[in-house]
Amino acid sequence: MPKPMIEVNQLHKSFGSLEILKGIDLDVHQGEIVVIIGPSGSGKSTLLRCLNCLELPTSGTVKVEGENFADKSGRYNEKRVAKLRTEIGMVFQSFNLFPMMTAVENVMAAQVKIRRKSKEEARKTAENYLKKVGLAERMDHYPSQLSGGQKQRVAIARALAMEPHIMLFDEATSALDPELVGEVLKVIRELADEGMTMVLVTHEMRFAEEIGDRIIFMDKGAVVEEGKPSDLFNAPKHERTKLFINQVLHPEAEKV
Amino acid sequence: MDILSHLDFATAIKELTPELWQGLLIALEATVGGFLLAVILSVLIAVGRLSDSKVLKGILVVILEIVRGTPLLVQLVYMFYVVPLLISLVAQFFMPDYQFQLNPLFAGILGLGINYGCYLSEVVRAAILSIDKGQTEAALALGYTQRQALWSIVIPQATRQAIPVFGNYLIMMIKDTSLLAFITVNELLLRTQAYASQTFLTIESYTILAVAYLILSLPLSQVVRLLEKRLSKHA
Repeated sequence: MPKPMIEVNQLHKSFGSLEILKGIDLDVHQGEIVVIIGPSGSGKSTLLRCLNCLELPTSGTVKVEGENFADKSGRYNEKRVAKLRTEIGMVFQSFNLFPMMTAVENVMAAQVKIRRKSKEEARKTAENYLKKVGLAERMDHYPSQLSGGQKQRVAIARALAMEPHIMLFDEATSALDPELVGEVLKVIRELADEGMTMVLVTHEMRFAEEIGDRIIFMDKGAVVEEGKPSDLFNAPKHERTKLFINQVLHPEAEKV
Repeated sequence: MDILSHLDFATAIKELTPELWQGLLIALEATVGGFLLAVILSVLIAVGRLSDSKVLKGILVVILEIVRGTPLLVQLVYMFYVVPLLISLVAQFFMPDYQFQLNPLFAGILGLGINYGCYLSEVVRAAILSIDKGQTEAALALGYTQRQALWSIVIPQATRQAIPVFGNYLIMMIKDTSLLAFITVNELLLRTQAYASQTFLTIESYTILAVAYLILSLPLSQVVRLLEKRLSKHA
């Protein structure tokens, strides 16, 4: 077994007295694609956000490529966390492009500011990644001039331009009009084919089934069941999983 | 009716206008200096108030309350007459005959800058808070530190948003430079007063002064409106 890219150990996260994550253990290996599914409020997004420390764990550890986010004394040093985050790209549901920058400037910004690349070099890299996501013609457009699908593809290019080893997708297609979902999923699928290590939170069950190496079903802050897509979708072991998958795949059916 | 027949705008315009040009230059100097200072202070105060330090926040709130609770004119007078005395008092512990003096225009710039800085800080603070949290998160996810995200992603957007409001404050400040007459800055009002008391052309002088301020601020209001339109494009 190759060494895990992400190791999560007994991760707990509470907001005030509300416990969102109740002791999660999770390893993600090189090149693996893990898809987290579950009802809203199950803690799946919070788990994803803990993987790059956008949420600090209340207890437990998150390691990336063997490096713990917390330092030896258990504290989260900002510089250390920021440095580790550069290895992890993240794509958000609401895109979060920088509105005052054009597409290409969005992709350049962190390369220049964080990676300390020259502007020329950063622009070249940015143009390459924008081409890769099919937006060569839209480089000088502002986010306000782009469709949702285009925005999300710029956001993916922006994350990729940092040359991360892991990509996180937090409901990357949930805010999109149905006809724009495909273009974003296509880009994600291409990344998968290139062997990128990825963790996705998604409501697109068919896509999850098709792309995932492993599906994790979460409910009420805990992992209920995990396994190969074919097993989990076709023969779920737990009653809760069955119920959820049935509801998502047949939303018109009456609740059991 | 007698007064009306004696009105002499022609003379007043001819003699007062060159004076007003001189005064305008000084008023503009005060505005440019005061506003630059105000903008810098406003961002620093806003960031300070959004920081985690309770002590810093406490100090800033006290300063804000003092500045907002006293009239600008009193602050200007205090800056020009009292602050130099206080500084001299302290300095005399080390250098016996030391007398600190503040150039009136410089005192005016400091007074205006601090006063407007406090008011503008509320505008900046509100603008920073209005920027979507996702912006900071996106920056953090790319490897920015909190500070880098604040200064290179959030503040540029916040100031952009605040610019139209800033513009309105700038126009207010131009008009408020007339208060500097009270601390002997030779701007438009002081020059007009001098002219009016020499010639007794009271109605003419002050009417011309009022019109001069109008001519100055009306086009600027238009510019601010245009700016507002342009900036909202990619917000």
